[in-house]
Amino acid sequence: MAFQKRNPKKRFFQRRKVCRFCADSTLEINYKDAKELRSFITERGKIIPRRITGTCAKHQRVLSTAIKQARTIALLPYVGKLN
Amino acid sequence: MRMYETIFIADPDLQDEGRSTLFEKFKGILGQEGGILANFDDWGNKKLAYEIARKSRGHYVCMTYGGTGPLVSELERTFRLDDKILKYMTILLEKDVDPEALQLQIDAEATARTEAEAAKAKAEAEAEAAQAQKEAQTSEAAKVAETVEPVTQEDEEEEN
Repeated sequence: MAFQKRNPKKRFFQRRKVCRFCADSTLEINYKDAKELRSFITERGKIIPRRITGTCAKHQRVLSTAIKQARTIALLPYVGKLN
Repeated sequence: MRMYETIFIADPDLQDEGRSTLFEKFKGILGQEGGILANFDDWGNKKLAYEIARKSRGHYVCMTYGGTGPLVSELERTFRLDDKILKYMTILLEKDVDPEALQLQIDAEATARTEAEAAKAKAEAEAEAAQAQKEAQTSEAAKVAETVEPVTQEDEEEEN
């Protein structure tokens, strides 16, 4: 908020991000579903922080374990390639 | 009894025969150590996210079973000894499962699956029969149309 007050022109409006897994309770985090998990890692294979994705703390914890398990069994890369 | 899920990656270049004997071996170990196999899911050849043992593809298999700690360590020991297994991972699904209830559940699922398959086969057979009937009808209709057409033409000529 303080940041917004100082620069009212720059950060005029920021949409409140909602946790995708809280919004839709049918969505389940599963380490076997690599396609779904890929939207939460960067091209380099790093886990995207929750301040970017908007995931809540509870689900981010589950998500990070799922990603790490998927990496172990070679469904997701430890180090992704650019391009 | 605990519920575990083990995923292992087998050699992709293995022939079907060798692969089935390999899988039977693991199933045998499960039986010996008093485990209950709930689900044996063969994912087939998939691309690996990174190379393992200089291979870019792998044959994924996912097993869900009920068992105890010694079973898992025995299974993993055989995985490590076998060079046809590229990698494996075991995950604990549930800490406390009643073996009898699990067996009942598996049986129920198996019967449900066979019933579903039977129902599917029946539905397919019915659909085929309906299709055949439809075709027969249309061909009959076509025949009727063929026989009718010349008559109408003649009628028209007479009228002219």
